[in-house]
Amino acid sequence: MADPARIKREIPKATSPGADDDDDDDDQTGLEDDGEGASTSGSGRNETKGSDGQSKPKEEAKDESAAGEDDEEGGDPKRLKVEPEKKKEKRQKVDEDEIQKMQVLVSSFSEEQLNRYEMYRRSAFPKAAIKRLIQSITGSSVSQNVVIAMSGISKVFAGEIVEEALDVCDKWGETPPLQPKHMREAVRRLKTREQIPNTKHKNILFH
Amino acid sequence: MAEDEDEAGFFDDEGADDGGLDGAGGQGGKRKRLFSKELRCMMYGFGDDQNPYTESVDILEDLVIEFVTEMTHKAMSIGRQGRVQVEDIVFLIRKDPRKFARVKDLLTMNEELKRARKAFDEATYGS
Repeated sequence: MADPARIKREIPKATSPGADDDDDDDDQTGLEDDGEGASTSGSGRNETKGSDGQSKPKEEAKDESAAGEDDEEGGDPKRLKVEPEKKKEKRQKVDEDEIQKMQVLVSSFSEEQLNRYEMYRRSAFPKAAIKRLIQSITGSSVSQNVVIAMSGISKVFAGEIVEEALDVCDKWGETPPLQPKHMREAVRRLKTREQIPNTKHKNILFH
Repeated sequence: MAEDEDEAGFFDDEGADDGGLDGAGGQGGKRKRLFSKELRCMMYGFGDDQNPYTESVDILEDLVIEFVTEMTHKAMSIGRQGRVQVEDIVFLIRKDPRKFARVKDLLTMNEELKRARKAFDEATYGS
């Protein structure tokens, strides 16, 4: 199947050809906002056109852009091709900056910090155990990508809990190692923020 | 109400450390510990002490197993029913920026590694 990263990028290209100039702003927002931005601008256009001439302005806009693409080849098509490249260059440069900063940071770590950082990067859930767990729930086999994704998310989840628990521990004026009461208070806090999935409790709105 | 039940479950796990094989506990009660070693390293990496308490590691393991179970059940109910696919997981995680970015990175990295390994194998095979 298609790569999730590639799926996200295709959304703005699919919506821009038949659109007005307003959609160019959407292309420049961050990758993750593109889908939502495009859809809200689409609904905004419907509302602003009003109920009277709703279909006509849209068709005229489409005709203009189509004619524009045929006549002036230096118009919209080239702009669409250049912008994603500029974004990729900018993102590569940001990546390189970030890599350099990380190198500077890691080179100035003390030994204890280096140890901890190594544990942070290297620790991972065993893929076999996660695969066994998922397969015992689904009853059918799962692909390798699913196991990779699930172990990655679980690690982030564990990290969120430990971070919150350390926050609690600090707030209560105590020191690590973390005690179960810190963990439970952390879980309670994350639950109110809805960061812990819970499908056991159904909210019945009207009794 | 539901939270009280959860905490009672945790209490039972810590109190009854007989290691006996009672009926299947709701919170992974008497099951063998799956992730003890890895979770210890992980907790140290995330900021805890070098030797975290065993009870805390147990609580965290139960939470992780519950998280994986919930995610799996949700993924089974969307997209293709009864199967878990990567797209379903990505869809479920879309609102959480950290997890979403992490999954995207992991999958792109995996693709790159696969491509690199394939190119390497072809190079050695061709020459």
